[in-house]
Amino acid sequence: MLSFAFWEPVAIFTLLNVILVTGLYVTALSGQLSLATAAIAGIGAYAAAVLTTNFNWPFVPAVAVAVVSGAIVGAGIATVTVKMRDFILKLTTLAFGEAVSVIAFNIEYIGGANSFTGIPLYTNLKVVLIATIIALYVAWRFDGSRLGLAARAVRDDPLAAAATGVSVRASRTLTFALGSALIGGGGAIQAHYVLTLNPQELGFFNSLTYIIFLLFGGMHVLWGPVLGAIILTAIPELIRFASQYRLILYGLVIVVVVLFRPEGLLTRTPTGAGRRRLARLLRLGRALPTPGAVDERAGADRVDAPR
Amino acid sequence: MTLLLQQLLNGLIIGSTYAVVALGFSLVFTVARVINFAHPDIFMVGMFAGLLAGAHISQNFIVVLVAGALGAAAVGYGLERVVLRPLRSRDVLMTLMGTLGVAIMLQNGMAALMSPDPVAYPRVVPNVAFGTGDISISSLQVVNFGLSVVMLAAASFYVRRTRYGRATRAIAERPDVAAAFGVDVNRVSQITVVLASGMAGVAAVSVGLLYGSAWAFVGLLYGLKSFVCMLVAGNRYFDGVMLVALTLGVLEALVTGYFSSSLRDAVAFFVLIVVLYFRPDGLFGSYAV
Amino acid sequence: MTPLLTISDLHVSYKAVPAVAGVSLEICEGEVRVILGANGAGKTTIIKAILGLARPHRGAIRFAGQELLRLPSHRIHQLGISWVPEARQLWGSLTVLDNLRMGAFLENDRAKIAERVDHMFKRFPRLAERQTQVAGSLSGGEQQMLAIARALMSDPKLVLMDEPSLGLAPLVVRDVFRLAKEINGRGVAILMVEQNARQALKVADWAYLLSVGRVVESGRAADIAGKESVQEIFLGGRA
Repeated sequence: MLSFAFWEPVAIFTLLNVILVTGLYVTALSGQLSLATAAIAGIGAYAAAVLTTNFNWPFVPAVAVAVVSGAIVGAGIATVTVKMRDFILKLTTLAFGEAVSVIAFNIEYIGGANSFTGIPLYTNLKVVLIATIIALYVAWRFDGSRLGLAARAVRDDPLAAAATGVSVRASRTLTFALGSALIGGGGAIQAHYVLTLNPQELGFFNSLTYIIFLLFGGMHVLWGPVLGAIILTAIPELIRFASQYRLILYGLVIVVVVLFRPEGLLTRTPTGAGRRRLARLLRLGRALPTPGAVDERAGADRVDAPR
Repeated sequence: MTLLLQQLLNGLIIGSTYAVVALGFSLVFTVARVINFAHPDIFMVGMFAGLLAGAHISQNFIVVLVAGALGAAAVGYGLERVVLRPLRSRDVLMTLMGTLGVAIMLQNGMAALMSPDPVAYPRVVPNVAFGTGDISISSLQVVNFGLSVVMLAAASFYVRRTRYGRATRAIAERPDVAAAFGVDVNRVSQITVVLASGMAGVAAVSVGLLYGSAWAFVGLLYGLKSFVCMLVAGNRYFDGVMLVALTLGVLEALVTGYFSSSLRDAVAFFVLIVVLYFRPDGLFGSYAV
Repeated sequence: MTPLLTISDLHVSYKAVPAVAGVSLEICEGEVRVILGANGAGKTTIIKAILGLARPHRGAIRFAGQELLRLPSHRIHQLGISWVPEARQLWGSLTVLDNLRMGAFLENDRAKIAERVDHMFKRFPRLAERQTQVAGSLSGGEQQMLAIARALMSDPKLVLMDEPSLGLAPLVVRDVFRLAKEINGRGVAILMVEQNARQALKVADWAYLLSVGRVVESGRAADIAGKESVQEIFLGGRA
């Protein structure tokens, strides 16, 4: 129907976004919605691009370095933000993203305001496909593992999770590091396709794009954000309007989803099986009130409490 | 010394516009409980409304100004009815995303309608430079600053001295109690959004005159900074927001003057990180949301 | 006498957990009635349901012949119902004077507002002294006085008092109940929610005992005061 030359870049950009949003999904599993996705991706991208461009490293080790630097940055942010209130955490990640963007702006070595250019082309559809499969596999396995369940428990109710023996700090640090590792790797792979890096792209508005994918698709199941990224990346590309009309439509779709499907496209009741399974896994089922019951009690209390 | 004075002056003028936008932003946030990322784009719509009035209706300054205010207020009114009201009391991030969707629509809608590039602004105020020695100020800067000050004073008076202004503060602190004492929260929130939008429209016209152009994406420059001003000040006292915005303008001007203009946009975020680290509720305190 | 306020078969739940399960009660003009119950019995929920701040899923609330359930809070206030909230809930960043003015938000006649403010300041000289201070800076007792004065600013027919004695010094508590009696003396009906049964029963005409969202006992205050079940509930026997 459409030529390969047309849909190949669309497919590559879509899959790149799937990798990045998967990383964000993992980060958000323990309840921390980061507004620094673009910055973390950018750190991975700059790290890998410097190695391949200036030091002639091969592609795979460079991406590995990006993955590791992503993990380190993620763990670092988590260490600082682990005790913060939700709203403040978001703001701190936002400020971090802007700060990284400004720092990149002022480092001449990586091109500063003039962009980092001359990155060799390593990424093609096959590479992106393999990377996407790896990222989704990692996220999927983590999601279903004990650690993943612990992270969900932390998200739903940190106090109850702590009471069942889950370390909130460890869980949050782990998800932030793992998610950021995926994001860092994704950023590196993206850099070797677009071939230039601009500090402006590390900022808040790009990060918000990934949040939009996540919320649009629904953040309670892995396939939600994946679907969100696919729909919101591919569809605007496939509609061959002038770019402004495309963006108007994009904005409209977001508003409509926020107003009429506040849980995102794919939903799952968040009080789910995860917590019950966690309780069973830790063999504390009866001894403690189930987190669900805690939630409901909290709801009833809240109404009586002065606001 | 001259540089310092000149930059202080420039900073205060820029800061006064930040203050108008940031004040509107935080008024809407505290009353409607929505982070309205479309607010800076309402500012943009006001700018274009003034431009169109100047081009097609009259070159009269007052006409252009009123058109800017009305254009912005009309968009604010629609936004409140269609998006802000249903989003109230939803998760912060959802509201942010919804208003951002509106922002994207407004920006690109205006770009499609007018032009994605800056459009020349009608010259309805003569540009005269005043100055002694090396310090200079233009008539456009005076108009810009003067209008901002008038609007800040008016907003201050409204919030402090009028019945609906009091209700605004009451809702900000305890919406339930306000409702139980007869305040129609939806109505006050609507009035607030319309007033904040109209204010932004006036400021936008003066900025358009100052820079001689209107741009569909101008909101991006103001949006994050007004958000930052509100967070740094906290949303408990509106005067604090104005103070922080003026200070931010001055700091930016000083950084531009003494370091480099590429660092200018980092100032806001540096201040944000430092302040939130020591005072998570902002300098002057916040209401829990 | 036809009742001023009638609640019938009220059910309110939060996330499927019933807080009020089938409460019926009424209050006539000029009466003081009190709802007694332990923490979490659903007392505040009843108040909030009357004010339109909690949405019942079943039942009816009629005030002066009008059904309240579908009305928004500000319309309910307009009918003549005012509120002394639990833990005062003043606007802490507004001045004492502004808190009072907000109490008469719907009054369009400025002269009337000024007159009522004057009246409150005469009755509560402490508030007059502090009229330009923000309400958050007042002591607990002064705040309670302000909360009551604010509730009276709209010249209501019915005042809902939610735990007016909570967190106050014993002397102040006595003042508060005396004040309730005084207000009632001017023909204002009072529906009070209390944990302090002994004091509340002294001022009330009629009392309801609430336990786990249900009225388990009701009767003339004097009769209720003598009953064992009162002791039982307040010792936590049932709740």
